Amino acid sequence: MSDRSQLLATGKSFAFDAETDAEFERLAARYPIRESMIMPALWLAQQQQGWISAETIEYVAERVGTYPAKVFELATFYTMYHLRPVGTYHICVCRTLSCYLRDKQEIVDFLADEAGIRPGQVSDDGRFSLEEVECLGHCGSAPVVQINGEFYEDMNVEKLRALLTTLA
Amino acid sequence: MEVKILSARFDIENANRIDVARQHGAYQTLDTLFAMEQADVIETVKASGLRGRGGAGFPTGVKWGFLPKDTGKPVYLAVNADESEPATFKDRYILVRDPHALIEGIIICSYAIGCHDSYIYIRGEYTSQVKILQQAIDEAYAEGYLGDRVAGRNFRLDVTVHRGAGAYVCGEETALLESIEGKKGQPRSKPPFPAVVGLFGCPTIINNVQSIASLPFIITNGADAYKAYGTEKSCGTHLFGISGHVEKPGMYELPLGLPLAEVIETVAGGVWKGRRLKGVIPGGSSTPVLTPDEVATVTLDYESMAAHKTMFGSGGIVVLDETVDMVKLVENLIAFYHHESCGQCTPCREGLGWMLKIVRRLLAGEGTVADIKLLRELCDNIEMKTVCVLSAACTMPVRSYLDKFRDEFEAYAIDGAPEQTELREG
Amino acid sequence: MAEMVKLFVNGQEVEVEAGKNLIDALQVVGIEIPHFCYHPALGADGNCRMCLVGIEDGRPPLVPACKTPAQPGMKVLLEDEKIKKIQRDIMELELINHPVDCPVCDQAGECTLQDYYMSYSQQDSRMNVEQVHKDKRLDFGCGVVHDQERCVLCARCVRFTRQITKTGELGIVNRSDQARVTIFPGRPLANRYALNIVDICPVGAMTSKDFRFRQRVWFLQKDPGICHGCSTGCNIYIDHHREKYGDDVIYRFRARTNLQVNGYFICDAGRLSYKTENENRQDRTLVDGVEVPLERGIEAALDKLNRARKPLMLVSPDSTLEQLWAIKRIATLYGAVLSGYSDAYVLAGDGDDYLISDDKAANRAGLQLLDIDSGKESFAAALADADLLVNFNNDLFFSPGNEDLQEALEATDQVSVCSHDRPAFSRATVILPCASYSEYGGSIVNRNNVLQRFARAVCRDADPCDIIEITRLLGGAISDNARAWPGLRQSVPALSRIWPERIPVEGVTLNSSEETHVGA
Repeated sequence: MSDRSQLLATGKSFAFDAETDAEFERLAARYPIRESMIMPALWLAQQQQGWISAETIEYVAERVGTYPAKVFELATFYTMYHLRPVGTYHICVCRTLSCYLRDKQEIVDFLADEAGIRPGQVSDDGRFSLEEVECLGHCGSAPVVQINGEFYEDMNVEKLRALLTTLA
Repeated sequence: MEVKILSARFDIENANRIDVARQHGAYQTLDTLFAMEQADVIETVKASGLRGRGGAGFPTGVKWGFLPKDTGKPVYLAVNADESEPATFKDRYILVRDPHALIEGIIICSYAIGCHDSYIYIRGEYTSQVKILQQAIDEAYAEGYLGDRVAGRNFRLDVTVHRGAGAYVCGEETALLESIEGKKGQPRSKPPFPAVVGLFGCPTIINNVQSIASLPFIITNGADAYKAYGTEKSCGTHLFGISGHVEKPGMYELPLGLPLAEVIETVAGGVWKGRRLKGVIPGGSSTPVLTPDEVATVTLDYESMAAHKTMFGSGGIVVLDETVDMVKLVENLIAFYHHESCGQCTPCREGLGWMLKIVRRLLAGEGTVADIKLLRELCDNIEMKTVCVLSAACTMPVRSYLDKFRDEFEAYAIDGAPEQTELREG
Repeated sequence: MAEMVKLFVNGQEVEVEAGKNLIDALQVVGIEIPHFCYHPALGADGNCRMCLVGIEDGRPPLVPACKTPAQPGMKVLLEDEKIKKIQRDIMELELINHPVDCPVCDQAGECTLQDYYMSYSQQDSRMNVEQVHKDKRLDFGCGVVHDQERCVLCARCVRFTRQITKTGELGIVNRSDQARVTIFPGRPLANRYALNIVDICPVGAMTSKDFRFRQRVWFLQKDPGICHGCSTGCNIYIDHHREKYGDDVIYRFRARTNLQVNGYFICDAGRLSYKTENENRQDRTLVDGVEVPLERGIEAALDKLNRARKPLMLVSPDSTLEQLWAIKRIATLYGAVLSGYSDAYVLAGDGDDYLISDDKAANRAGLQLLDIDSGKESFAAALADADLLVNFNNDLFFSPGNEDLQEALEATDQVSVCSHDRPAFSRATVILPCASYSEYGGSIVNRNNVLQRFARAVCRDADPCDIIEITRLLGGAISDNARAWPGLRQSVPALSRIWPERIPVEGVTLNSSEETHVGA
């Protein structure tokens, strides 16, 4: 993995909205210890804000009742927490084994060369971001692409090109 | 060859919805279950020969038997739905197509071990899948299969879904527990084993999704009915995921013990594009690769795999055709394990990165034969020196490629980086 | 007594404490098992893998010693080719991404990596690819500077902030070989024990801003001592050195383990109090503001004492039992009122429930043992009455609160016997320099009634006299520590059976009755 320790600060404080807050408290009742809520809280925060800022980490630490450094540990350890804003469409291309064998590289190259979307970057218009991720568990329908959580199986350049045009 | 035990409801439309699932038999085991003594449930599971389907293949009933009695502490069940081993995608089918089989299995296991709080740890990447699973759980609560009185009995059971967030290592059972406890997923030293000191310091059983989902059939039909499938020591059926260079990749439920070559040929349609077979990864990326000669003699069970010095693993079969550059494949594998190393133990944390750079040096045409020797030696130096087996999951297969396809590595070392292999298409 | 078990190490039978982990158990009998992450105060983490040992017929056959309790009959393999190879391999992996910048690293000379390289590795580097690069010179706060590249990720520092101070400022972020110790941005170390992190870091990853680049550790003479920063009496190492053409200077204090007193740690204030020993010292003898040889100063003091009708002597609550006894004796000799008034040494509310005491006096319990009156009222009354105050190093203005005594102090002729140049002493017409606690030895009793003994560590050029020597020059009968003890034993019941040379290094707890006896 690359270094994820350089957090971004927004300069604005973060807090759950009412709906998220209710969900947080509902989930918290499911665990005998409060710290179990660090991961669910980070998920909720990401759902609300789209990514995890330095302020989000401080807020989660306060809500859970733990050290910011500990939430910081988890936010950097678990790679699905976005520590930078992502595009309107966050594209994950599986890079591992079966997808590698079935030419995921063509998809990555297409995105980079034709669509101008490069791994780890957000496109200039803010619409797309690309991440090469490890095995997504769709090896039988490789290569697989995941966009904003939705899986697109048996992917190839033609299908992806068509798909991108449908994403407004 | 295919059978329909675990996959019985997979092809029924909307079987993830409780009314449909019930029409096709879901939750019908519960009357039988609650009429049984808890110990009898454990004995039945032991007798069925069911082995952990997460990869290690430890007998499920025996594992349950390790729970200490009367500790005065709660007993937890953690269901491992962190399916992250490359080439493995079987549990996803259960989560999406028959989540009620999983929930029914959780009820069976929880009753047997005296658990009232179960956690399903699902990998974060399964975004649409977690929604379907949660919907099924909500339905089960609404219909009284979960909650304070399971199926009207004096038995409470709560099931909570805990989402991972992108860490393969959390499939290791103690890392999974750490993660639920709100820590980094860094495996624990054992002993103590989770059955004694597990989740929140309490006795805990951790079972794979497929193991748990196998329980309704076993309780409904009895241990013998399950043992009727498979071999003497590798009982029952398994969801095999076949991927890579075959004509018909996909998920197939098969009894254990079938010849691998035949399965590739008849079930998966053979090597694609009329190409020749170069090798097969038999049970997920961490299992040592088999050569075509070995593929010809191995069968899909724990014993035959062990005899071929590889592992049954997770049942994720990857077929490699003649165009595969084994050095590049190894680079892909080491990159995965390096990326996923939890960073705790020195050998894995530092060693996998070193191995990766050595392979990349070879691929860049800058490596030497000494680098290959070093890579091979590092496999030995790193393996089994760590808290968990993540590093071994990398070194064991890497060693197999180095030993079985040595000439390809040497070609890089001696001739430098070759031109693109001719057979490889655009 | 702990239960003992017999086990075998490399085939040799040894007897060790049952249930202790193998690292601690075998260390007692002189067998070293190398380790980075294990620390007795922080427990076993098991991440470094350096302590892997073989267990013959064991399941598993290879175990981390830090997590393996000593059991009877166990056959531990250390001097085994397989184990030695593992140690070599782990060392190689610890070092591949390490900068090996020993020439500019403060830890050099007391670095576990260096030591283990010599003992367990000695192999040439095979690293022929780009190293992992991380951040350097990170200011973590509280004077702790971090170098991520030198770090072996043993997590001792992280565990310290979570288990000991419970402040949790540190964490290890990322995973794989990108893992690194850091603080949350804008939340630096903020606890009163942070510099212990420098002590417990086995490598050069955590250095002290205060000590960095000031001295090579192999030049330092490391003498045991006792911190005089408060009444806890934490055990320390006084690391000092006399440079060529220079004076004996203290460079740092470090924690010295004493499970009975301070465990493994000391507070930062105590650690940095070494500076006080170097700075602002009273080295000159002054009579009416004019520097004179010590003999002249003594003559002047004697003259005043002999002429005084109502002398008052004030002792310091930092003084040793021996010093207090010697002063008590000359107080009797001169018919002086003796006071130990030292309220200024108590900073109410400053202490915590760990090592820091409100009372900044090192030997207040000693004052009480010797039955020296420390009341303010009696001191004020005696002061109003006195025509001479002989102040034996009691800093009446250590903290505010004695302003009301100012007038009476100004009205009274004073002789100060003092180690430092401070306002409390400067008004005296006779100033006699004396040694500070790093320059003499003696016995003190801490807040928990633990009697501890310490020896002289530092010999500065100025070589000020021990207070005991001053009392002798002023006509007292006690000339050294040993000669104080017959009197102490005779007149102090709690000390009646104490022979100082037999006080164990961890000290001895004095009972209120006469039952304490050390080697009597």
